[in-house]
Amino acid sequence: MASLFVIKGRDQGKRFELDGPVSGLGRDAKNSIQLHDSEVSRRHAQVLRTADGFSLVDLNSSNGTYVNSQAISQHVLQSGDRVQLGRTLLIFTGNEERSSIDLAEEVAIIDRSKPPEGSRIVTSIGQEEGSRIYTDADFANNPWLARTRSNLQIMYQTALAVSHTLDIDQLLHRIMEFIFEWVETDRGCIMLVDRESDQLLPKVFRHRRRSADGEKLRISETILDYVLQKREGVLTSDAQEDERWDTGASILKMGVREAICVPMQGRYDIVGIIYIDTFTPPGQMIQNRQMNKFTEEHLKLMIAIAHQAALAVEDTSFYSAMVEAERLAAVGQTIATLSHHVKNILQGIRGGSYLIEEGLKHDKNELIRKGWNIVDKNQEKISNLVMDMLTFSKERQPERVAASLSEVVADVVELMASRAADVGVQIAWQADEDLPMLTFDPDGLHRAILNVVTNAIDACEKSDPGRIEIRTTYDQETSMASVAIRDNGSGIPEEDMGKIFSVFESRKGNRGTGLGLPVSRKILQEHGGDIRVETQPQQGSTFYLEFPAVAAPPPTTSMDP
Amino acid sequence: MPTTPPNPPQLRVLIVDGSEDNREVLSAALQMRGFSTYQAAEPREGVELARQHHPQVIVLDLEGQDTDDDQICRDYESQSRDDDSSLVVLGRARYYEQHLPRDRIVAKPYHFAPLVRTIESLLNSRKAS
Repeated sequence: MASLFVIKGRDQGKRFELDGPVSGLGRDAKNSIQLHDSEVSRRHAQVLRTADGFSLVDLNSSNGTYVNSQAISQHVLQSGDRVQLGRTLLIFTGNEERSSIDLAEEVAIIDRSKPPEGSRIVTSIGQEEGSRIYTDADFANNPWLARTRSNLQIMYQTALAVSHTLDIDQLLHRIMEFIFEWVETDRGCIMLVDRESDQLLPKVFRHRRRSADGEKLRISETILDYVLQKREGVLTSDAQEDERWDTGASILKMGVREAICVPMQGRYDIVGIIYIDTFTPPGQMIQNRQMNKFTEEHLKLMIAIAHQAALAVEDTSFYSAMVEAERLAAVGQTIATLSHHVKNILQGIRGGSYLIEEGLKHDKNELIRKGWNIVDKNQEKISNLVMDMLTFSKERQPERVAASLSEVVADVVELMASRAADVGVQIAWQADEDLPMLTFDPDGLHRAILNVVTNAIDACEKSDPGRIEIRTTYDQETSMASVAIRDNGSGIPEEDMGKIFSVFESRKGNRGTGLGLPVSRKILQEHGGDIRVETQPQQGSTFYLEFPAVAAPPPTTSMDP
Repeated sequence: MPTTPPNPPQLRVLIVDGSEDNREVLSAALQMRGFSTYQAAEPREGVELARQHHPQVIVLDLEGQDTDDDQICRDYESQSRDDDSSLVVLGRARYYEQHLPRDRIVAKPYHFAPLVRTIESLLNSRKAS
């Protein structure tokens, strides 16, 4: 499905699917893509579905519609296009043009068993060998070939660096290092355009030897403007022969400073510049009779390197925006879910206290009792919510002590008895006399079992009669303890099975927090175990809480000598 | 003292709320004031009850219910129009925010005393007319 994804602006992180024939973009709530941006018009633009794609049309908006930084009135969208409305930036992703099924008809992999149509492998080269395109012998006597090889080498290294790192600062440092290895540069600097201020900010500065007077690297604004506006790389020299720049006073007798400045042209925009320069003292110029250290070839290659680096910068900022958007969305969802639960519990407590108040006012014990029950139930709910949140939020080691699994289950059964009776569910449980004392965290297991039993009661509320069976077993040979909780409820639909252990997924509407099962599983996993589920529609489910536990040594009594 | 209710029993309130606690609290408070109450946990079940018993006031909480469709909201609206009854909506409900006067929408979390007073006065104005 084609979509627009907001990567900048107040709606950052939202994805809008373009499912209708026309999708409106604007500030007004009537738009299918409503943008909360004061610089966006009420009806700003619309996306039309056409026979072969999507077309973006500006609806005479006050601030205009931009695609890849160009103002448009109508534009056929292509995957990756960046659409800017006011302060909001969206990325368009189109439909896959051809499904992989179509392509499979044209590209086929021949079965191993079939004869390989006369092809055989002639040579194979490992991934790491890819850079050694010429052998040493090839260029021993050929300077052109040597230079070409060196150029190819730096391109390859750059590509490798770009593909290996997501840390932009680190990447830019590496690229600058390569440039220094490759060409005789005295100073180099990479500047990136700061998205907030639109200013160039230096990110990397490197020099071979600090100039004697500790002079700062000065880059002429004229050069920068030229590079940014014309989107061209330039090679400059302050020797007088160069007429492109107003050199002012000739400083030929003081040596020649040459510089290369190239734009970092990305897919959509210029993200920065790379600048390198070198200085040839007058003495050397006469010696070598060679004026220039930098050539057009260097310039071309610098443009290519800058392009690679720019792609990486763009990808990374897009990636970080996505990660940040997802993180914000997750935090937002967590807060929304939790406040919803707390609100419901608060409502229950208010209701209970109101009934108590009414009961006291009119001297009606029955109302007071009713109210108290509700308050009691809700304080239990908030305590469970808090305990689940705590268990879920921190990594912890279970506090293993010698404990009786039977006692833990008995506690849970006793605690849930009245609730089960309220909804007509019977809990069948018989303590297993042979179960030895085991080493585990009894509080943790209590919570894990409680959550599963609570679910079981809710699951068979509509079964008549609802029945829950709990069984504990311990396998001496494998040292595995198991608590099986079986209900005769409605079972879990197959499509929900994948979600039951996901946090905040609840099938119980307002009653569930979506924390119970994830917390239970976490506790079992902390014990080195897990929860297993068997379910059958209309027959019920069985949850197996299994964990390895060693039998506790028999308690020594103080009576022993 | 005789326990004859202060209000005639024909005044009826329907409470539609997914929370059992809330239904119980409202029912108890309204019954104590002499009104009859009907309860539904699910909106569809509630519409059926409204069609059967023609309550003068419907208290409706759709939050947390799986229904985001406007149809059920319209059903309540038309039933309430037919019966000339009053709708009181608890919590968020997008549809009613555009179709009901503001004072009929009670934001959550709410206090019960003023809610019960509102319901009581709606019923009493009914009685007077």
